[in-house]
Amino acid sequence: MLQKYLFYFQYDLLSSISVIITLVPITLIYQRKAYADPSFRLLLLFLLVKLIIDLLMFHCAATRVNNLVLFNVTIIFRYILMSGMFYYKFENKQVTKFIMPLSVGFSFFTLWDIWYCNPDILNLHLHQIVKYSLTVESLLMIFWILLYFKELIGSLKVPNLLTFPFFWICSGLLLYYSSLIFIAPTLHYATQWDVRLDIGLLDRIPYIFDIISITLISLGISLFSARYYARH
Amino acid sequence: MQDTEQMKWALLIGTLAMLMMAFFVISFVIYYQKKKFEEEKKLNEIEKNYSKLLLDTALNSEETERRRIAQDLHDDIGTMLSLTKLSLNQLSKRITENGEKEDQIMRKAQSLVEETILHVRRITRELVPTTLERFGLAEAIDEFIHKLEEGNNLTICFQPGEEELPRQGQKIELTLYRIMQELVNNAIKHGQCSKIEISLEMSKDFIGLRVADNGIGFDPDMIKEGKLAGLGLLGIESRLAIVNGTVQYSKNATGGSTALTQIPMQAVSNSKPEPLHPFRRERVTL
Ligand SMILES: Nc1ncnc2c1ncn2[C@@H]1O[C@H](COP(=O)(O)OP(=O)(O)OP(=O)(O)O)[C@@H](O)[C@H]1O
Ligand SMILES: [Mg+2]
Repeated sequence: MLQKYLFYFQYDLLSSISVIITLVPITLIYQRKAYADPSFRLLLLFLLVKLIIDLLMFHCAATRVNNLVLFNVTIIFRYILMSGMFYYKFENKQVTKFIMPLSVGFSFFTLWDIWYCNPDILNLHLHQIVKYSLTVESLLMIFWILLYFKELIGSLKVPNLLTFPFFWICSGLLLYYSSLIFIAPTLHYATQWDVRLDIGLLDRIPYIFDIISITLISLGISLFSARYYARH
Repeated sequence: MQDTEQMKWALLIGTLAMLMMAFFVISFVIYYQKKKFEEEKKLNEIEKNYSKLLLDTALNSEETERRRIAQDLHDDIGTMLSLTKLSLNQLSKRITENGEKEDQIMRKAQSLVEETILHVRRITRELVPTTLERFGLAEAIDEFIHKLEEGNNLTICFQPGEEELPRQGQKIELTLYRIMQELVNNAIKHGQCSKIEISLEMSKDFIGLRVADNGIGFDPDMIKEGKLAGLGLLGIESRLAIVNGTVQYSKNATGGSTALTQIPMQAVSNSKPEPLHPFRRERVTL
């Protein structure tokens, strides 16, 4: 078994690194006591879920089992937790009103998408990636991030953005979702047993930007200061 | 095959464009935020300077007004009183030939005029601290406390500092003098004290003025909470704001209160100001 893991680790180094690197922000959150902030608690929850699911997917991939159902489920978790972070960050309560209903709507949409792409839902071996949800998720998240940036500029509450943790987290997410938005629709076709569409090295992009965004998120967390947070 | 190849390029270009946009947005947010903050800071600075200027002008015009009143008193009323005295003198010579009763009334009138002249002199002196401008802070304080001590059973000690205090800018001297006046007045008015100590302290970059009394004292925290501020203490604050000075009140262990004023030393530019004529009618350069 261990041999299989090691082999797959070497075989798909990039995706394996993107799994392991998740440990960095998790440790940082504990070290900097960033869980005092509700947004960072959600981030921690997301990182834990991501780590578990990624490890499961790694196991499946190493043993050559279809793991795409896990990928599809992650989309729902990721969107709910990531947009939930903004629920606590927006000052404008007019905006936060929409975050929860949109999360619910998006979850149903993704479930429908999964069901639509997989008529035989119980056949996990032939499970396929969703067609639309990933793109919609990217669009929505980019929208929230840009809206948050607009509020940041408008309110002038943060003297130096370069030392503001949540700014780096937003930047990481913005880069990740920007890289994903065009690749997302093709993943459905590119990741099938009988590959109908070969996008070549382009399917590495999500992993690369996963690593980049996790790095930026870690940077943001390392700037977190519990004392500073308590004062605000 | 051709199609997938083309699609791959399209995807790559699209993704790159998207990423460039993301980079652009992030750097724009950083840049814009920084710029806006700097602008805000500059605006605050301007506002602060402006209010300082306003205060300065207000105090300046107050000083000018005092000068004007003093001058009018001196020139008009003073001259008229002198003339009255002269006329009375002439009149009195004639009256002495007439009778006792008239002579008495005449004397009374003469002494009243005499007294009035003295009062006018005193008031004009108080309005404009002539001694301060001529001889400097130490002399002026000395004169002020001598006048106070005369009629009251009150001891006021003054320590002008170890070495001779070099002349400061007019503005600083006047500020310190007026503050000293208010602090001493307060000590007498509110403190019910029998002894006041005034000292001037010089250091390399500060001039300090310490006024301590042995009266009932007051709680320095009450000022911060805004419960005590009369016009006097507020005036001290605003005078100090113009010269970047600070004031600290404290309660003495033995009862009574101490006020310590500190003003940063200004660059020694015109340390020897021209002794101004007290009544010269011109804008005072404080
Ligand atoms: N030396 C002191 N001893 C005791 N109480 C003082 C002393 N100095 C100030 N206070 C208290 O602080 C209060 C505020 O003083 P402030 O000089 O501001 O106003 P004021 O003397 O009452 O009025 P104004 O100075 O405008 O004529 C006074 O009412 C008094 O209660
Ligand atoms: Mg007073």
